[in-house]
Amino acid sequence: MPRPGFVLEVDERTPPLLVHEGEGFRMQSFPLGTRVVYPPDSLPGIRDVNAAIRHALLNPVGDAEPLPELLKPGMKLTIAVDDISIPLPPMRLPDIRQRILEQVIELAARNGVEDVKIIVATALHRRMTADEIKRMVGERVFRSFWPKDLFNFDGEDRDGLVEIGTTDQHEVVEISKRAAESDLLVYVNVNLVAMDGGHKSVAIGLAGYRSLRHHHNVETMLHSRSYMDPRPGHSAIADSATRMGRLVAANGLKIFQIETTVNADTFPANLGFLNKREWEWSAYDQGLMIAARKANDLAPPRARREFYRRIEAPYKLTGINAGEVEAVHERTLDNLHRQQLVEVRGQSDVVVFGLPYIGPYNVNSIMNPILVHCLGLGYLFNMYRNMPLVKPDGVVIMYHPVPWEFHQIHHPSYIDFFEEVLAETTDPSTIESKYEERYATDPWYTHLYRTSHAYHGVHPFYMWYWGAHGRDHAGDVIFVGGEPKSVARLGYRAAGSFRDAIEMAKDTVGPSPSITYFHAPPIMIADVV
Amino acid sequence: MADGFRWGRRPLVPRSAEAHTPPKEDRVFPSDWARTDAGVAVRQVLLKGAMHPLIRNELTLRVFGRDNLEGVDPPLIFYSNHSSHLDATLIMCTLPDRWQSKTAVGAARDYFFDVWWRQAFTALVYGAFPIDRSRGGRGAVDKARQLLSEGWSIVVFPEGTRSPDGHLQRFRHGASRLALETGAGLAPIAVVGAYHAMPKGRFWPRGGRPPVTIRYGRPFWPREVETHQELSRRMTRAVTELLHEETSTWWETLQRAQRDEVPSLMGPTGPGWLRRWEGSRPPARRGPDRVWD
Amino acid sequence: MALALEFYRSAPKYLGARTLGSKAPGLITGGLAPLRLVTQQDPEPTREGWARVKPRLAGICGSDLATIAGTSSFYFSPLVSLPFVPGHEIVGDLLDDCGDLKAGQRVVISSVLACAARGEDPPCEHCAAGNVGRCDRVTVGHLKPGLQTGYCAETGGGWSRLMLAHRSQLWPVPDGMSDATAVLIEPLACAIHSVFRAAVPPGGTVHVVGAGTVGILTLIALKAFTTADHVVVAAKHQRQRAAAAMAGADDVVRPEHAVKAVRRTGRAVKLTPERGMEFLLGGVDVALECTGSSSALDLALRTTKAGGRVVVSGIPGRGADLTPLWFRELDLVGAYTSGVEDLGDGVQRPTFEMAIELASNLPILEELVGATYPLGRWRDALDHAMAAGKLGTFKVAFAPQERQEI
Repeated sequence: MPRPGFVLEVDERTPPLLVHEGEGFRMQSFPLGTRVVYPPDSLPGIRDVNAAIRHALLNPVGDAEPLPELLKPGMKLTIAVDDISIPLPPMRLPDIRQRILEQVIELAARNGVEDVKIIVATALHRRMTADEIKRMVGERVFRSFWPKDLFNFDGEDRDGLVEIGTTDQHEVVEISKRAAESDLLVYVNVNLVAMDGGHKSVAIGLAGYRSLRHHHNVETMLHSRSYMDPRPGHSAIADSATRMGRLVAANGLKIFQIETTVNADTFPANLGFLNKREWEWSAYDQGLMIAARKANDLAPPRARREFYRRIEAPYKLTGINAGEVEAVHERTLDNLHRQQLVEVRGQSDVVVFGLPYIGPYNVNSIMNPILVHCLGLGYLFNMYRNMPLVKPDGVVIMYHPVPWEFHQIHHPSYIDFFEEVLAETTDPSTIESKYEERYATDPWYTHLYRTSHAYHGVHPFYMWYWGAHGRDHAGDVIFVGGEPKSVARLGYRAAGSFRDAIEMAKDTVGPSPSITYFHAPPIMIADVV
Repeated sequence: MADGFRWGRRPLVPRSAEAHTPPKEDRVFPSDWARTDAGVAVRQVLLKGAMHPLIRNELTLRVFGRDNLEGVDPPLIFYSNHSSHLDATLIMCTLPDRWQSKTAVGAARDYFFDVWWRQAFTALVYGAFPIDRSRGGRGAVDKARQLLSEGWSIVVFPEGTRSPDGHLQRFRHGASRLALETGAGLAPIAVVGAYHAMPKGRFWPRGGRPPVTIRYGRPFWPREVETHQELSRRMTRAVTELLHEETSTWWETLQRAQRDEVPSLMGPTGPGWLRRWEGSRPPARRGPDRVWD
Repeated sequence: MALALEFYRSAPKYLGARTLGSKAPGLITGGLAPLRLVTQQDPEPTREGWARVKPRLAGICGSDLATIAGTSSFYFSPLVSLPFVPGHEIVGDLLDDCGDLKAGQRVVISSVLACAARGEDPPCEHCAAGNVGRCDRVTVGHLKPGLQTGYCAETGGGWSRLMLAHRSQLWPVPDGMSDATAVLIEPLACAIHSVFRAAVPPGGTVHVVGAGTVGILTLIALKAFTTADHVVVAAKHQRQRAAAAMAGADDVVRPEHAVKAVRRTGRAVKLTPERGMEFLLGGVDVALECTGSSSALDLALRTTKAGGRVVVSGIPGRGADLTPLWFRELDLVGAYTSGVEDLGDGVQRPTFEMAIELASNLPILEELVGATYPLGRWRDALDHAMAAGKLGTFKVAFAPQERQEI
C-alpha cells in the first residue's frame, strides 16, 4: 500500500538527511524542529503497458473518436512528440513515447495513411541529436522516418510557421505550418510535472518566438503562483496557453492528445537509497550510500559527469489517456496529483532545497549557473499549490556547487547572457526591456539554433524569468557550497555550510527561524494550506 | 542538531514518522538459502560429519522403523514427541538419506530466529523454517504449506514446546490442519529417553552415554472426512503406540490397539514432582548396540 | 504458556557485556545481554494472598540496564535468584481475586518482596513499622531470594505476559489515570521517598543532579512536598532541561555549568583542584544524585555546603571521591525504595498512596513515557532505553500484551 507523502518533524531520533547537491549529495543534520516534506511512496505501475496504450487509443475521453476512425487514406497526419527535456532523469528504454509512437504508426499504416511527419516539439529548445532522437522513438521508427519525415521543430523557419490568429487578450498564435495544415495532429506527451501537457503541448511546444513572448515574460511569470498549479486563475502562463490552445482548436485543427503519467521510481537500483526515507535504509542502503559518496569524491570530474549522465530512471506508467485535450488533461492531472501531492500545513521562515544534477535544459549537457537559478528558484520553488512553502520575504537556501561552467555547443547565448547581461543587472524587468529583443533576434544565435544544437538566443532570458516569482517573493537567497563568484553574479549569497547559511538567514528572518526542507527529488507538489 | 547515524545500534523511527511507518515487516532472516543445493550439501556434511558422530559419542543411540518409510513418496509431515533440544538433531541425523536432504525442521521463531547468527545456524544445520508460536500455531502454516507444495518434508513438534516433565502434552492442531489442507502424509516418530538424557534446562547430554531410542512409525494419511481434532487424536495415538513399543513389544501394542486400550502417555495425574519423577525414569538398557537397524 | 523475557546465568555474556559494553553498546543488545525470550510455564499462585497479574506496561529502569550490562555490583548476587524476569515498574490487571481486590482490577505493584509476601511472621522490625523497603528478610521465607519482584525466580516480573503478586504489594489504580501515568507510580514513589529522606529545611536550597525520569520525578516531589526556596537542576540533554524547566526548577543548567550555577545561588567560594572537578566551600543545603554515575555523585558532594546532606537516589556508580563527605561533614544518605513517610505530628502515610494521589493531578507525567515496545522487540527497547537521554526519551516501557512479529 503506497503511503502518502507527509511532513516529518526532526527530533533526536532523526538521522542526518540526504540533500542533493548537483552531481553529488550530502548527509545533513538538521536542527531539531525542522520540518521535512517527503513525497508519497511510488505508485505501482501498470503491468501491461501495451494493452493500456491500445485501450487508450481505442477509448478516447472527451469529444473525440477512437484513433483508427480518424485515420483515413490520403490524409495528412502529423505526430508531435515531447522533446528531451522530459522525463527527468531520462527514462529507461523503451521510452514510453516509443511504445505509443509504434502503436500509432501501426494504426496509421494499417489504415492506409501515407503522408506522415513526426515533429519533435522543441519550441525554442535545442534540436535533439540523431542519437537522442533514436533513443526516444526507438530504432524501428527512427529507421523508417529519419531524416525526412522525422525532424526537430524549427521555430525560426519563417516558411515553416503560420499565424493562426490572435486571442482576445491580443496574443498572437503562430505555430508549425505542417501541424496547422494537417488533417490530424497527434501529440504524444509525458506529463512529468503539472505544468506540462494540456494546451501547452501544441500552443507552446510547436510555437515560435512571436507567440512565446506573450507568456514567456516577467509579467506573466510574476502572476503565475504557481505555474505548477494550472487551475484557472492561478497560473497566468497556463491561462495564456489555454486561450491559445482553444483558438487553435476553434480554428479547425483536430488534435488527438495522448498524455501519460509516471510514478516516482526516479533512481535505479544501484542508487536505490535515493528513493527511500533515511530511517528506513537497510544496512545495504547505508553501505551503498557510503560507497556512492566515496566514489563521488574520488572520481575525476569527467567520470562523475558521465556516471550521472548515464543514470536512467526506472519510471513506470501510472496512467495514459487519449482524446480531446482538456478532457485528457483533467485525468492526467488527477493521476499526477495522486503520485505527487503532499499536504503541508503553514509556511515557514526558511525553505531548503537540494538541487539535483539534472534539469530540463541540461540533459546530456552541463548545468550552468543560470540553469541552477532556474532549477532552484524556478522549478523547485514553484512546486506548490496555494502558497509557497516559505513566507513572503523569507529565505531560500539551496545546495549546489554552482560551477562557472557552460556547454559551448548547447548554451552559447547563455555564456553571453551571464557575462554581459547579469554583470550589468539582475532585475528581470530591466533585463527584459533592455536586452531581450537583441538576443532574440541575433542572427548568430538564430543560426546556431537552426543548424547546430543550441538553445535559442532568447532562452537564457526565459530561464531568468522562470525564477522571477521566486526572486520577488524571497527576501534572501543563499547557496550552500556554491562557488562565490558565480553566486555573486547571479545576485545571491554563498555560504560554506548549512550552519553558516542559517546564520546569514537570521539577518533576514530573525533569531529563531522555522525551517522546512523540501526533500525532492522524487518530484512532488506541496499543497500548502 | 539531531545526532548522527547510530552505527551498530538498532534502527529508530523519528517520532513524527511513526504514524507513517508500515507495520513491522518480517525481519526473520529468510531461511530459503539453506534449502538450496549448496545449503543442502553443507548441511549433509555438518550432520553426517559432525552431528551424527557427536550424538553417537554422547548417547547410546538405537533407531528402529526406518523401513516404514520405504516406498513412500515425499512430502511427509514428520512429527514426534518433544522433550529435549536433542529431538530435532536426533531426527535429522537418523532420517534416511533421501529424506534427510529434503526435510526442513520447524523451529520456534521467538527462540531460534531472533538474532541473525542463531537464525543462520538453525537454518543451516536443520534446514529450519520459523514457526510463530504466539498465534496459536496458525502463523506457521504458510511457510510449511509452501515447503510441502515444493516437495519438501517437514518436521514439527505438535506439543508446541518441550515437555517440562517428560510426558506427552496436548497436541496443538497446526500440524493436523496442515495435513488436512495439503493432503500430505503424517509420519509419527517417537523419541524415547531424550528427556532423561537432556531435559529442559540442560544444553549438553548427561554423562554415561544415556540410552536414547528413535522409533519411526508407518506414515498415514488424513481420511476423506475428518476434522482436525480427530486427526490430532489419531496422531497422538500413533505416537503413543510407538512410545509404548519401548516398554512392551510391538505385538502387545497391536493387540492393545485392537482392543482400543492404548493407555495415554500424558503421565500420571498428580503433583508435578510425580510427573517429573515418572518422566525421567531412565529407559532400560538392553545390551550392546545392534549392528543392524 | 506465557511469553517472558528472562535473565539467566551466563558467565561469558556477563564478562562480554561488562568489558565490551561501554565501548560498543550495540553489542549488548546484539548478543551480549544474558536475556532470552521464553515461553514460561504459567506461574500458579499456590498460597493465600497471591494472585496472577497481567502486566499492561512495564518500565525499563536504570537498575535493569545496569544488571543487563553487567555493571551492577556483586553485592546483589545473593539478593536475587536466577533465572528471573526483570521488570519492577508495573501497571497491570489482576487475573484472580486477591484479598479485597477483585479480578479485573487495574493495579500498580510496590515491588519489594517483604515479610508479608514471604510469610514471615512476626515481621522484621522495619516491616512492622511500615518501611518495607528496609526489610531484612528478603532472602528467606517461603519465596526464593529476591529483593523485589523483577529479581526473584518465583514471582516472575513485569517483562512478561503473566506474573504473580502478593496482596501486600498491590495498589488499585484510579479509573481516570492512564496506563502511561500509572507505570510511573513506582518510580514516583521512590522519588517521594528520596525527597523525604532528604529532609529539606524550610526555604532551603536544593541541587538535583540529573533530569532523566528519576530527576524529573524527584523535582516534582520536591515541589509537591517541600518548601525548598531555590532548586538548581543539572541535566545533560536539551529535552531533559526543557522538562526540568517545565516542572518548576528555578535554574536549569548543563552539568559543566552546575558548579557555577550553585555558586551563584549561595554566593559560595569556588576552588579548582589541580586534578578533578572544581568544588565549592558553601553550596546548597541538600543535593540529590539522580543518575547513578560516579561523576554525578562527585558533583553532588562538591556543591553541598558543610553540614548539608547528599541523597543517593539510584544505585551509585563506583569511583566517587568521598573526601568532601569527610571534610565538609556531610550526611550521605541512601534512598532505595518506598515504604511509609513520616509527615510530622505522628502522621504516617504509605508512599505509594501519596504517589497515586500526586500522579492523579500531574499532566506532565503523560509525556514521560516516550516509547513502548512489545516483548518481541526487546532488543530495540533496550537499545532505546540505554540511549534514552540522548534520544530525547525519558521512560521506555514494555507493553507485554501487545502481540507483534519480531
